[in-house]
Amino acid sequence: MDTKEYILKNLRKNVRETYDMPDLSFRKRTYDNPVDAFIETTTTTAGAKLMEIKAGDDINQKIREAYPDAKIIASNIPGIEASLNPDSVAEAQELEKTDVGVIKGEVACAENGCVWIPQTMKEKAICFISECLVILVSRQNIVSNMHEAYERIQFNEYGFGTFISGPSKTADIEQSLVYGAQAARDVTIFLTD
Amino acid sequence: MKIGLFVPCYVDALYPEVGVATYKLLRSLGLEVDYPESQTCCGQPMGNAGFENMSGNLAEKYDDLFSGFDYVVAPSASCAAYVRLFHPEILKHDCVAAKKTLDLVEFLHDVLKVDHLLSKFSHKVSIHNSCHGVRELGLSSPSERNVPRFSKIRDLLSLVEGITILEPERVDECCGFGGMFSIEEPAVSTRMGTDKLKRHMATGAEYITGPDSSCLMHMQGIAKKQNLPIKFIHVAEILASGL
Amino acid sequence: MSTKHSIAAEKFIQNSERVTRHDQTFWSVRSKRDALAYELDEWENLREAASNIKKHTVTHLADYLEQFEQNATRNGAIVHWAKDAEEYNQIVWSILRQHEVRKVVKSKSMLTEECHLNDHLIGNGIDVVETDLGERILQLMELAPSHIVMPAIHITREQVAECFRQKGIIAEHGAHAAEGILPEGEDYTQSSDPTFLTRAARYHLRDNFMTAECGMTGANFGIAETGDIVVCTNEGNADMSTSVPKLHIVSMGIEKLIPNYEAMGVFQRLLARHGTGQATTVYTSHFRGPRPGGEMHIILVDNGRSSILGNEEHWQTLKCMRCGACMNTCPVYRRSGGYSYTYFIPGPIGINLGMLKNPDEHYHNLSACSLCCSCDNVCPVKVDLSSQIYRWRQNLDGMHHSDAIKKAMSKGMKILFEHPSLYVTSLKFAPLVNVMPKCLTDIRLNGWAYGHTMPVFAKKSFHEIWKKQLKSENV
Repeated sequence: MDTKEYILKNLRKNVRETYDMPDLSFRKRTYDNPVDAFIETTTTTAGAKLMEIKAGDDINQKIREAYPDAKIIASNIPGIEASLNPDSVAEAQELEKTDVGVIKGEVACAENGCVWIPQTMKEKAICFISECLVILVSRQNIVSNMHEAYERIQFNEYGFGTFISGPSKTADIEQSLVYGAQAARDVTIFLTD
Repeated sequence: MKIGLFVPCYVDALYPEVGVATYKLLRSLGLEVDYPESQTCCGQPMGNAGFENMSGNLAEKYDDLFSGFDYVVAPSASCAAYVRLFHPEILKHDCVAAKKTLDLVEFLHDVLKVDHLLSKFSHKVSIHNSCHGVRELGLSSPSERNVPRFSKIRDLLSLVEGITILEPERVDECCGFGGMFSIEEPAVSTRMGTDKLKRHMATGAEYITGPDSSCLMHMQGIAKKQNLPIKFIHVAEILASGL
Repeated sequence: MSTKHSIAAEKFIQNSERVTRHDQTFWSVRSKRDALAYELDEWENLREAASNIKKHTVTHLADYLEQFEQNATRNGAIVHWAKDAEEYNQIVWSILRQHEVRKVVKSKSMLTEECHLNDHLIGNGIDVVETDLGERILQLMELAPSHIVMPAIHITREQVAECFRQKGIIAEHGAHAAEGILPEGEDYTQSSDPTFLTRAARYHLRDNFMTAECGMTGANFGIAETGDIVVCTNEGNADMSTSVPKLHIVSMGIEKLIPNYEAMGVFQRLLARHGTGQATTVYTSHFRGPRPGGEMHIILVDNGRSSILGNEEHWQTLKCMRCGACMNTCPVYRRSGGYSYTYFIPGPIGINLGMLKNPDEHYHNLSACSLCCSCDNVCPVKVDLSSQIYRWRQNLDGMHHSDAIKKAMSKGMKILFEHPSLYVTSLKFAPLVNVMPKCLTDIRLNGWAYGHTMPVFAKKSFHEIWKKQLKSENV
């Protein structure tokens, strides 16, 4: 008997009583104003910055405002002035010198500041390897909680997506909170219309 | 209402005044109380040590002795919990007496719904929420859970004239008694007890009070050894003070 | 009457300051968790739901595993099955050999600890680099984790600094790491500033991410309906490990599976809130197939789990999602430290898992519980941890591991308590113990005497007071 067969057989043999999937329709927390709640969570517990982008604002100008010292910007979003493109680099390593990566989020969650970022580029490394990250997300796409978020998220042929809530952090040394463990050490959410 | 008084073994031998207070309190509330003399122990010491099978006869006997009462009341949350929750499992059959066994606090609070007392106790006390009282009997809301806050002990003590009720930081953290645990893990048990004592004392209380003499005995032993200036009193004694 | 745990705990407790620090560290995590619990109205609904989802899933696990395999395979992943640690280690090694991998970057996985994967790979000449900061510190110090979520929290910043100096990390990355972190002119080679040390580790690990040929992750969840592997981290190290190397190997215990996204919403909300007291981890990453031009392997590991399902008293340990909340709340764990346990997972869940793994080796941990039941109340999936410990204790005698003194004491109590006349007689003579010379009662063998004075027997027991006084008044 091969291993798979052995495991499945053993599992089936060892079940004594089965249980049904529970009803999950209990009331979940929602916000009257998810946008305000998202802004609050993002800028406090998540440790990110947030800029509200108005119609007609020059996004490239806003990126320079947020990160005036940035030399290398990476993005594949049309219209973003970037010197590196995660679609056209030969290897992920080339993105390592990125000061600011500019990426797009599809769903944002008010209760915890998570933004869903499906992979839409050849090298997803841009989402993690960049020193700083700008995430564009529309205020139309903010939901209250993770249950709603999981109803909304979509995948594409890249087969990867991640919820990001603020900068990479660690408290592994004596529990002191430090931003910038392995991935982006600074995150700014651009909240668009 | 006919009440069977269950005075657990160690209360019997070490803290008879707690049994007396419980008896007087119940009588003062107009109840018929009897104390079956051949009672001894609920069997918890053996169970916690890993010899639950040695407490089967005790559980059977407990059921025989107490099944004729309307309620069985014990001034010990941990023992009441053991009887009510563990006896039926040990014996693998329904236990009449176990179902009717309550700790004194829950009996007064939930059954009699006592709303006034004649007792007076003009002292500052810090409530010791014993683990089995909180998490097995539900005498107060467990701090781990998102449930409405309540404390049956506090409710009852509030009826006592002159009392100042305090509670320590980490309101229901274990004091480290745990029966055989205190003997098998003396270092951890003593450290837990010492930490708990410090938090109780930090409230400024003169007394530590609780529904379980076992926890009080443990902390008392440590306090004495370390010469800590704090006194101990069972909740029953406060509620019965002046009777 | 001592166990390996009680002996190790006593040693740990000698250093009172360390105990205080350890206790406060984990209590503060518990407090953060509580704060989140109190502010979320559906908290208890979520716990109940999580428990029931897990009960459902593990009792239909064979079906869900088949569904998961189908979907993951359709997504382009390669699924392997391992019945035990040995087979698992061999599968990993064969994948690495096939791809001529020399260096692996690894994010934290308790399963790889359970199977001793690192030793196996290092023995075969692979450079294995742990990338979770805490795990990396421990790896460099050649120590085991002392907690499953905060593995190196017992190490001081000075010890970390010393380790980084010894391993050349400060010499190589210190100058860069100090920029903008330490005041100008400060001698960074002597600094133990956590931000500076974290930054130095960041650059050190960057070098490894850039040059590794394989990234390994664990799995917090596998989703049957979609074939997703979900990995949650704060540092982003799992993502760094899988964004540069082309080869991704996932190790997942079969019990980590959940049915669908609806269930995932419940668990995502509970995991970080329980584990670290955060509303979410920074990254919740869904891997649904290999990266462009790469390969993704998923190894489904049994290693005893399918047999645990058949254990009537302990099958619910399979609900555990390894959040560490039971450790944080355990008053014994907080005061005895992770290394006082013989199993690599400490605390309430570790006591139970150790017994399921090898009772002859790990029964010593059963003493590490005062039965306070706090763990039962924090557990996000409602594993009945303390009841399980109580039940193990009942089985020790049958396993020939019961303590002779405890057994004798229990037997003595049985005789005493079953014979009321004997009991009443001994009550009469009990006060005599009070006047015995202290040296007779205060012996070293007596654990009670370690930290307590002896309790004082009352001059008259309640029995006696009843008979002589109360009974006659009771009309």
